[in-house]
Amino acid sequence: MSSHAEHLDGQLPHEPEKATLEGRNKVLGFWLFLGGESVLFGTLFATFLALRDQIAEGKPGTELFQLPTVALATFILLTSSLTSVFATQALHRHNVKAMINWLIVTVILGLGFLGLEIYEFFEYVHEGHKFTTSAFSSSFYTLVGFHGAHVAFGVVWIGILIAQIFKKGLTVVTAPKIYVAGIYWHFIDVVWVFIFTVVYLMGKVG
Amino acid sequence: MSTQHSASDSAKHRHRHEGPGKHIVAFIFSIVLTLIAFAAVMAGEVNKTFTYIIIIVMAVLQVIVQLAYWMHMKDRGHLMPIIFLFGGALIGFTAIIMAVYWVWW
Repeated sequence: MSSHAEHLDGQLPHEPEKATLEGRNKVLGFWLFLGGESVLFGTLFATFLALRDQIAEGKPGTELFQLPTVALATFILLTSSLTSVFATQALHRHNVKAMINWLIVTVILGLGFLGLEIYEFFEYVHEGHKFTTSAFSSSFYTLVGFHGAHVAFGVVWIGILIAQIFKKGLTVVTAPKIYVAGIYWHFIDVVWVFIFTVVYLMGKVG
Repeated sequence: MSTQHSASDSAKHRHRHEGPGKHIVAFIFSIVLTLIAFAAVMAGEVNKTFTYIIIIVMAVLQVIVQLAYWMHMKDRGHLMPIIFLFGGALIGFTAIIMAVYWVWW
């Protein structure tokens, strides 16, 4: 391990993700993409906020939402954001082993979050809160489901990156991918802060 | 870590690797802000408007902490990322105000 790390350290600059023009462009382009993602989630939040009182025959959020489950999901996602920033720090230290371990922990926590969300959706459907029940339920599943799909995409993406690091090692080509995936994961966490506040907490208050 | 660096050239010593410290502080901040928000709602029987204000302030504070530390926005060279993300957020908030305005007023 240590001889491998020394070999890498001799070749790689301090911030390998910004060592090449292509790497810098990838990082900058990814921020533009996140700007677009903000618009996407903004419109989904707008739809939800406009329709959240239109419950038709269904249950209101005050009866439906189970805050302990949501709190657990929140702490899992928060912790995964911390492990993902540890992976980026390991990237800057050129410590490939630590980086992969932190990425694996991040993926596992992401899967845990997804499992909780699937369980939660099953419970809601069981209680008659289906996608087509009301404007509230449709906008709820669209907003929260879109976020869940982003988590699922991130889990698959980071999983593939881990496999690629095993194959190609940490280079100026692979480093920007790891860095950008970390930014993506934090963005997903930031969106969740808005979701648990606007959807669950404000929904519980009524 | 130190063995890796002593082997490399002196240019390597110009930069310092950040420790995990400030990220753990950001994490603890996030946890505390989340707990306050959940506690404010779970306590119940408090003024609704007051509860709304608490949870929204907690969310805004947490987003600032996460953007600054975990998404490296306080680091230098992040002007374009800030313009991109806040430009997107501005359009998003406009959409929210528009939808809420149309439906509720």
